Amino acid sequence: MIALDVQHLSKRFYSGQYPAVNDVSFAMQQGEILVLVGPSGCGKTTTLRLIAGLERPDSGEIYLDGQVAASREIFLPPEQRGIGMVFQDHALFPHLNVYDNIAFGLRGRPSVEIRQTVHELLNMVGLEPLAKRYPHALSGGERQRVALARALAPHPVLVLMDEPFSSLDTDLRLEMREQVRSLLKAMNASVVFVTHDQEEALYMGDRLAVFQQGRLEQLGTPEQVFQNSATRFVAEFMGNSAFLSGEVIPGGIQTEVGLVSQPVNLPTGSRVELAVRVDDLDFYPDPTGNAVIVERIFRGVQNVYRLRLDSGLTLQAFKEHITMLPVGQRIQAKLNPGHPLNVFLASH
Amino acid sequence: MNRSDAPMPPALVSPLQRLRAASNRLTTRSASPTLLAGLAGLVALFLVVPLVYIFLRAVGADGEAWQRLLQARLWKLLGNTLLLMLAVTGGALVTGASMAWLTERSDLPGRKYFRWMFALPLAIPAYIGGIVHLALLRPRGGMLPRLLENLLGQPVYTPSPLGFWGAAFILILFTFPYVYLLSGAAFRSQHASLEEAARMLGYRPLRTFFSVTLPAMRPGLLAGALLVALDILAEYGTVALLRYETFSSAIFVQLSGRYDRSAAAVLSGVLVGLAVIILWAELRSQGQARFTQMESSWRPAPTIRLGKWRIPALLVAAGVTFTSLLVPVGVLATWSIQAVLDPDTLRSVLHSGSMGFSNFAWNSLWTSFLAALLAITLSVPVALFSVRHPSRISRFIARVCQVGYAIPGVVIALSLVLLVNRTLPFLYATPFIVVIAYVLRHMPQAVRASEAALNQVSPTLEEAARVSGRTPVQALLQVTFPLILPGLLAGGALVFLTSLKELPATLLLRPAGFDTLAVRVWMWANDGFYVQAAPAALFLVLISAVPLSFLLRREQIFK
Amino acid sequence: MSLPRLASLLFILVLLLTACTPASPATPEAPTAALPEPTAAPTEVAATETVDPSISGKLVIYSGRSEPLIQPVIDAFKTEYPEVEVLLKAGSNSEIANALIEEQANTQADLFITTELFTVQSLSQQGIFQPYRPAAADQLPAEFVDPNNNWIGLTLRARVIMYNTDLVAPEDLPTSIFDLTDPKWKGKIAAAGSTNGSMQAQIAAMRQLLGEEETEAWLQGLLDNDVTFFGGHTDVRKAVGTGEFALGLVNHYYYHLQLDEGSKVGVIYPDQGDGQLGLITNATAVAVVKGAQNVSAAQAFVDFLVSEQGQKIFAEQNYEYPLLPGVPLHEGVQPLESFRLADVNIAEAALDSDATFDLMEKLELP
Repeated sequence: MIALDVQHLSKRFYSGQYPAVNDVSFAMQQGEILVLVGPSGCGKTTTLRLIAGLERPDSGEIYLDGQVAASREIFLPPEQRGIGMVFQDHALFPHLNVYDNIAFGLRGRPSVEIRQTVHELLNMVGLEPLAKRYPHALSGGERQRVALARALAPHPVLVLMDEPFSSLDTDLRLEMREQVRSLLKAMNASVVFVTHDQEEALYMGDRLAVFQQGRLEQLGTPEQVFQNSATRFVAEFMGNSAFLSGEVIPGGIQTEVGLVSQPVNLPTGSRVELAVRVDDLDFYPDPTGNAVIVERIFRGVQNVYRLRLDSGLTLQAFKEHITMLPVGQRIQAKLNPGHPLNVFLASH
Repeated sequence: MNRSDAPMPPALVSPLQRLRAASNRLTTRSASPTLLAGLAGLVALFLVVPLVYIFLRAVGADGEAWQRLLQARLWKLLGNTLLLMLAVTGGALVTGASMAWLTERSDLPGRKYFRWMFALPLAIPAYIGGIVHLALLRPRGGMLPRLLENLLGQPVYTPSPLGFWGAAFILILFTFPYVYLLSGAAFRSQHASLEEAARMLGYRPLRTFFSVTLPAMRPGLLAGALLVALDILAEYGTVALLRYETFSSAIFVQLSGRYDRSAAAVLSGVLVGLAVIILWAELRSQGQARFTQMESSWRPAPTIRLGKWRIPALLVAAGVTFTSLLVPVGVLATWSIQAVLDPDTLRSVLHSGSMGFSNFAWNSLWTSFLAALLAITLSVPVALFSVRHPSRISRFIARVCQVGYAIPGVVIALSLVLLVNRTLPFLYATPFIVVIAYVLRHMPQAVRASEAALNQVSPTLEEAARVSGRTPVQALLQVTFPLILPGLLAGGALVFLTSLKELPATLLLRPAGFDTLAVRVWMWANDGFYVQAAPAALFLVLISAVPLSFLLRREQIFK
Repeated sequence: MSLPRLASLLFILVLLLTACTPASPATPEAPTAALPEPTAAPTEVAATETVDPSISGKLVIYSGRSEPLIQPVIDAFKTEYPEVEVLLKAGSNSEIANALIEEQANTQADLFITTELFTVQSLSQQGIFQPYRPAAADQLPAEFVDPNNNWIGLTLRARVIMYNTDLVAPEDLPTSIFDLTDPKWKGKIAAAGSTNGSMQAQIAAMRQLLGEEETEAWLQGLLDNDVTFFGGHTDVRKAVGTGEFALGLVNHYYYHLQLDEGSKVGVIYPDQGDGQLGLITNATAVAVVKGAQNVSAAQAFVDFLVSEQGQKIFAEQNYEYPLLPGVPLHEGVQPLESFRLADVNIAEAALDSDATFDLMEKLELP
């Protein structure tokens, strides 16, 4: 069952140099969590708001559960779309307590049903004892949970979440992520989730849609997007890649840190760039090596080393936390065998 | 070895930790809270004494006075006053909130100008507005009915500004700006996501407005409503002019009646009791205002297109501005020109009273200015105490200092007359007693402004100054004061503005030969000499506009 | 130009204008009334032939008469005695009377001028005044001079009914104040309300002449007839003048003042028939306050008020009936001798002032 189908969606704002959303198309299955991810200004939030009906598209169509929500002729206002939305600033109604906030979207239903639903959701988010409290008396995490419960209460066909954890502390964020994902999965909810944090995206999404400057760069599973990045941008954005230049030769790709024996579908002699992530590179001390340690960043569980190759390019590699090597030491950097790397034609 | 026993080697203690330790020591010895408490307490005492005196007189009045009042007037007065309060508060709420919505949330054409025009009626005392509308609309005698009668040849029914409806109408016109300014600020600070969330949950735009937008503004609206209610309770000039009897005007009548003041004291006691209840409610509602504060990622709510409602909305907004601002100022200007052009009238304007026009203009200015200065100065220790050393006592004192809101000018005057004559006779019948009345009545505005200004200055600034070697007093003067000065000035401007307009207390307390603009206008208008009154009234409005525009400029929207 | 700048400019402009405006001649430099001086400061002044040069300083007058009616005589006095600075506090009779009682221990006023006699009699009984008998007192009718010389009458006024000639035909004219309760005049009558001294005096006089019940019935009749009660007679006369009301119950001179403004008004001196009440009159009076700071100036003012010069001003400017014999009335004012006056005992009526207030309160007279 296709829960959401977006086709050639475009939207431009007066002030934009480029369209905020530029010919975006994707479809989503029932029960799937689709994450829209990208840097700020990439159009993910606008896409979300177009789906919600809070903005009107310039062109394109949106289908919810097979029904037209927006097209050239039709525009369904947000209150008629049956979509639940969780906002970045939770948007809880300050004059209503937790119970009434959650019950807000259930107006018109028999009171027995309302009570049941609200309590059910309160239990699910673990806030049963706080039902009578007002939003200003709740913590950040509690508020976001109420916002989620409120969005889920009317059993919407689709749940939209707009960077819901970005205002929380790091620890809380991690905890909330886990809880919310399992809750959504338990309800078999169809979710479109927006975030700028690629780590969050990798965790939350069944599939990821990577955006840049209004365009959908790639749509795929986290593994696909990470390992088989469709564009240079996706490779760079996911996993913080650095780029290593190389040349295609019969056996693979020749780089300054060695030969990468990876089959590549490009003519010999092509200049290419390889996306190299922190775990793709390894090194060992070698007075005749090809690089020098310029910085050691202690990250608790790892030591991340910045290595300057003789060509001037700086790459990063990590070692276990007990391996501490001094700055200035000459080392030999090499790529880890068996790590397939994303390869792109070099741009001039 | 127990970690807490071993002293930290100095090299490993970071500068930040050193600062924190120093700061801890400092705050325990900072700007002597006992001194502040003493000063604040004295101020509170000064403000409360008249109130207490009135209560004692009221309670001590012999049963006969109570009986007489009870059977005759008390209930009727209570009913009248409460009815007027309800009508005006309701009307001001509706007008103020709807106009605020138009200028802040919709695409009303010309809303930049409307913002000023909706706030400016604050410069016009309600009784002056009443004078203008009375002269225009008085049945048979007013300018408009006569004009219509001449045009159409027969008497035309026009709504009368007299009595309950007239008084309510006039008062709504000149009090709605309070609500307008407060709800305007509330509308502007609303988060877009609140309404979007409601719409996502199935609420259509109109229902969203009533179920979410308005309730979220409840604290601001409530505060505005209560301020209006207190104002109406204290209102004297307008209701006397338009002949609708409320507590305030009844007290005045009592004072010009039989030769004993206990009846007036009794009425005053009841009135003050009523007002204190409202004040208490208002102070409580202030605490809840914070619940509308939301954190970061604020997005302004979107502008609503009026579409086909543009013209009707424009007409309504124009109508409000017309009746509350353009008509009064226009009529006053016309009359003033008339007065200036006619040499007889001009002479009587400039030379009437024991002194001349310039004299009472000067009186208005210097008494209001002095009142503003005193009020702000006295409010500073109170604010310092309540903001820097929050505790039940300091909060209580700060609240007590706002009791002036609850004591109408008439009652303040009465209590001062009774008190000062007995205790400080040399002060009586000098203009300074008028200044004291102003300070008593308008202290709340000064206290609130000072508190607000202090709240914006973090105590750590003072602490930083102390760490750099300044004494507490120096830190206060060199660091805190310059920062709170704009806020203090705003408070002073507000006290100045409201003292300029003050009527009942000035009427009762002024010594012979001492008139202010407000009193002059009142006396002329009372005798029907509207044209003579106009230049003074216009002058009063114009000089009120100066501190008012200073205050408004501090509001973001007017920049 | 931005609105606030414009406003500030206007403000400064107007300030300059007021600063340049010549102030009233009596006070070229004095900004406000300061603390009352302990003694009148004698100043060197070129005295006119009849003026005592030691009469100077501040003279504080409390007046129950409205300012426009008392100002002319004050102005005339100031021309005679330019060294005296006259400070006036005008208000309603009883308001001022209350102030005088309050201030007994801390006297502020030098003189009290009233619109009727009951107040001044009542206050005199309470010891608020000090005796002074001007030379001219011998010429005034005895009933208008206090036996203890605590107060002295100035002018007479009659309670009359003025009407709008456009609205009232001659055959419909009322002839008695009791006609005012006739339903045919419902909603068409204006009068001064319970805070007005002359009205209070009328009610007190009627109580004394007719008794409590009849007076109450009359008042109730007025209330039932939807009489509109204003704060002062100026409002009444203007309202009758514009035709807002057909009839007005006023002091006689208000009719003349309104006629002067060109309005179409007429006047009736009521209750002249046999068995009827007679014309209710009252007198204005002046008294010197006990503990006055400037007794010499106060006494000089009293002298002035009862002098031919002062009495003339009342007659000519205010259309009043001067008590000093031989002062001509203003043209058009009917002499009181042509009417039958009601026979009110002032002293008796004054004793019972509280009862008047009680009655007004009982009926809730506005």
